Amino acid sequence: MKRIRILLPALALISAPLFAQSPVVPRENTFPAKPYSPYANRNYPTRVYWGDEHLHTAWSADAAASGTTIDPEGAVRFARGDQILSNTGQPVKLGRALDWICVTDHSDGMGVTNGIIAGDPELLKDPKIREWHEKMKLGGAAATEVMSEMINMQSNGTLPPAMTDVEYLRTIWQRNMDIMDRYYEPGRFTTFHSYEWSSNAGGGDNLHRNVIFRDGRERVGQIIPMTTFDSENPEDLWVWMEAYEDKTGGRALAIPHNGNLSNGRMFSLKTFEGHELTKAWADARARYEPLYEVTQPKGTGEAHPSLAPNDEFAGFEIWDKGNLVLVPKTPEMLQTEYARDALKNGLMLEQRLGTNPFKFGIVAGTDMHTGLTAEEENNFFGKYGTSEPKGERWEDDALAFNGRVVKDWEMGASGRTGVWATENTREGLWDAMKRKETYGTTGPLITVRFFGGFDFVPADAYTREPATVGYAKGVPMGGDLQTAPAGKAPTFLVAALKDPAYGNLDRIQIIKGWVDASGATHEKIFDVVWGDAESRSIGADGRLTPVGNTVDASTATWTNTIGDPELITVWTDPEFDPAISAFYYARVLEIPTPRWTTYDAVRFGVKMGPEVPVTIQERAYTSPIWYTP
Amino acid sequence: MSRFLREPLLHFLVIGAALFALYGALQGRSSGGAAGDQVIVVSAGQIEALAAKFQKFRQRPPSAAELQGLVDEYVEMEVLSREAMALGLDRDDSVIQRRLQQKMEFLAEDFESSTAPTDAELTAWLIEHAADYQEPARYSFRQIYFNPDRRGSTLRTEATALLARLRTSAVTVDVTTLGDSTLLPASSDAMALPLVERQFGATFAQELTALPVGEWAGPLRSAFGAHLIQVTAVTPARDSTLAEVRDAVTRDLMSARRRDAHARFVASLLAKYELNIEWPVADPQAALTTGPIRVATRLP
Repeated sequence: MKRIRILLPALALISAPLFAQSPVVPRENTFPAKPYSPYANRNYPTRVYWGDEHLHTAWSADAAASGTTIDPEGAVRFARGDQILSNTGQPVKLGRALDWICVTDHSDGMGVTNGIIAGDPELLKDPKIREWHEKMKLGGAAATEVMSEMINMQSNGTLPPAMTDVEYLRTIWQRNMDIMDRYYEPGRFTTFHSYEWSSNAGGGDNLHRNVIFRDGRERVGQIIPMTTFDSENPEDLWVWMEAYEDKTGGRALAIPHNGNLSNGRMFSLKTFEGHELTKAWADARARYEPLYEVTQPKGTGEAHPSLAPNDEFAGFEIWDKGNLVLVPKTPEMLQTEYARDALKNGLMLEQRLGTNPFKFGIVAGTDMHTGLTAEEENNFFGKYGTSEPKGERWEDDALAFNGRVVKDWEMGASGRTGVWATENTREGLWDAMKRKETYGTTGPLITVRFFGGFDFVPADAYTREPATVGYAKGVPMGGDLQTAPAGKAPTFLVAALKDPAYGNLDRIQIIKGWVDASGATHEKIFDVVWGDAESRSIGADGRLTPVGNTVDASTATWTNTIGDPELITVWTDPEFDPAISAFYYARVLEIPTPRWTTYDAVRFGVKMGPEVPVTIQERAYTSPIWYTP
Repeated sequence: MSRFLREPLLHFLVIGAALFALYGALQGRSSGGAAGDQVIVVSAGQIEALAAKFQKFRQRPPSAAELQGLVDEYVEMEVLSREAMALGLDRDDSVIQRRLQQKMEFLAEDFESSTAPTDAELTAWLIEHAADYQEPARYSFRQIYFNPDRRGSTLRTEATALLARLRTSAVTVDVTTLGDSTLLPASSDAMALPLVERQFGATFAQELTALPVGEWAGPLRSAFGAHLIQVTAVTPARDSTLAEVRDAVTRDLMSARRRDAHARFVASLLAKYELNIEWPVADPQAALTTGPIRVATRLP
């Protein structure tokens, strides 16, 4: 594998503080203060658009290997709400149609595996491919094994040459663009041109990025996706993206995911090749990677219990056995794998380099390899073709390498992104992603508003239009505050509305991270508003009374007799030091509801082991708001 | 058809055929047929194409050395592929077969795509699949929210009392000052029913459809609490006209045609062949029953 050392050009930072006088930093899209007419100038986002920024179809090599037959067209139709037949022939439909979708098939070997499945005699001369072909015919665990092996060989750069054919990729990319354009209905349903660049560096260290284009075919059609046969180094991807932008006048952003499978490399404090970080490196990363996928079926990536011992909700859908091919993880790797610590290290690096390379907003995706973005707990169609609904699926292997195994029950039914955009178009949604006005959830469509400023007062929580006051007095999620006025601390207007099809809300927390003068990083979690407020309070141990649990596992049901349907408050940082850099993001927790495995247990009448959780507290994570002195 | 004509391999084949014809002519004229008789021409156009391809992939033009490398690679590919074909190595190569299969598919697809459907065909499709293109019912309504946690047991009486007042009041009320504050919109303008369902829940959406227009009604229960509702306008669900959904109908009709065309194309070609499938096992289905996944295979 060729690796080219590249001098990164100095890149202008879009978020440079141009308005140093104002403590509330204006955005690319500034929403002006409210005029006399209550209906004029309402050009801020009034609606959240729901989608999935990460979905594979039969055109991903490993997906096809695991039995997936649904192609990008079927995937798009399903995402927009059509009923279709699943890969195992089961009728399936989403509970709530999405507003937008990114189909992100792996660029490596895109579309090739179907050929292997067909069993061409020439390919079968290769004993490895003959073995794959036979196993894929068997399906089930055997097909999973093939998929794992393909991942392994891709990681080690030993895939058969047939899978690295550039001409084939070009053709597949064109067909993919055809499909995305056919189903793009601006204002109604948005399909992006997108793909996944899947670097499994050094044998399975997951450095994957979803590349999302703002543009239509006239620009995206001028290129073909970069693969890891070109380079496994993310710095080369950024150079490639810059070249795309220079050449076409288009825009692209990359969303990294699954730092939890990177064995310490996702947010490493060294470059890919092990050198010291530079300002140019930080500029490029901040420019091209404005978002991070915080949760998906292969585990959550917000925080790890060992990194956040005071966070009672950190131990949630964690995958920490190893990297993507389960090369075991050592404890010191965790520190550079999870989003919260990366956000903290970003502040520390900003002190040193002048740019915060990890200044990212939050999104979530399903990463389903079935073509089906079916992540509702009661409608979970698994991550691979082999893990579609059937009684025994909970104990199948999701990943298996040399005796190291992750079980299917460990998969999370997870991954929705809410985008506060002014319109449902490629441009409208992409611009909102770029300015980080996004949040991720583990599935439910919880509406979350989060504004920061210096002038919010408790009465703002009682206004009928929180967004109007939010945009007038502050910045939304993803925004910046700086140079606090004398004697003032940051105030936050935060509100959440439950998903009517899911559980009530337990609480909203604001999570603060900061770096002190010595460069050491810290974090603290504040419970700021909660349901059943009349009967719950924060105890001497600093912890809020638990919300309780109404789940009946024998029927996979719950009641909304606990928690609240809606929460809103204004919160002021009680420990604010105007001289210290900090970030704040909101985490919204639901009351416990049945996990997908519990629905499986009831519907298939199977008994699962004690290691399988019965309930889940679904949650939403907002993009942070940063304070800079 | 146009995509087929742009295919580089087609160019290659055409050029190759021309070269073979030239070679044949030269063979006929020359006496020896010794090494050096055959010609490999790398034209200026071909070199430009190599450079353009490089640029498309790398996002920069090749250097002089790289371009020389591309030409060398091309010449090597040319000579080896010609000799390989002369030896018949292309005949049992699955990669080449797959490429050829794909070209045939594109040929069939493009042929079908090139015949634009007529309005009559589109209309027939729309009538047959009317449900797929239906405009959903839209509701404009105002709502006053009552929070069960704030109101407790008095919620119903308070909501009912306000409802009575709203019904008798002659003046227009500012609903945004009544009831409890909420993130839910106080008024919704022509909201599609599926969106009402996503925002307020299924039961609410269903009950909303039964309310009279113009009058305050309720309280309706939702996942959030109780609501007094005034429906101000209803646009019932209706079938779309062709003008409204022409793009989507065209897309779906063409998509179905491509599938049909492909199946017909394969069937028509197969008609020229006698097909003998020699199953290696007595019961070929047995191999499939061990797993629940339907893998694409050549089994019937």
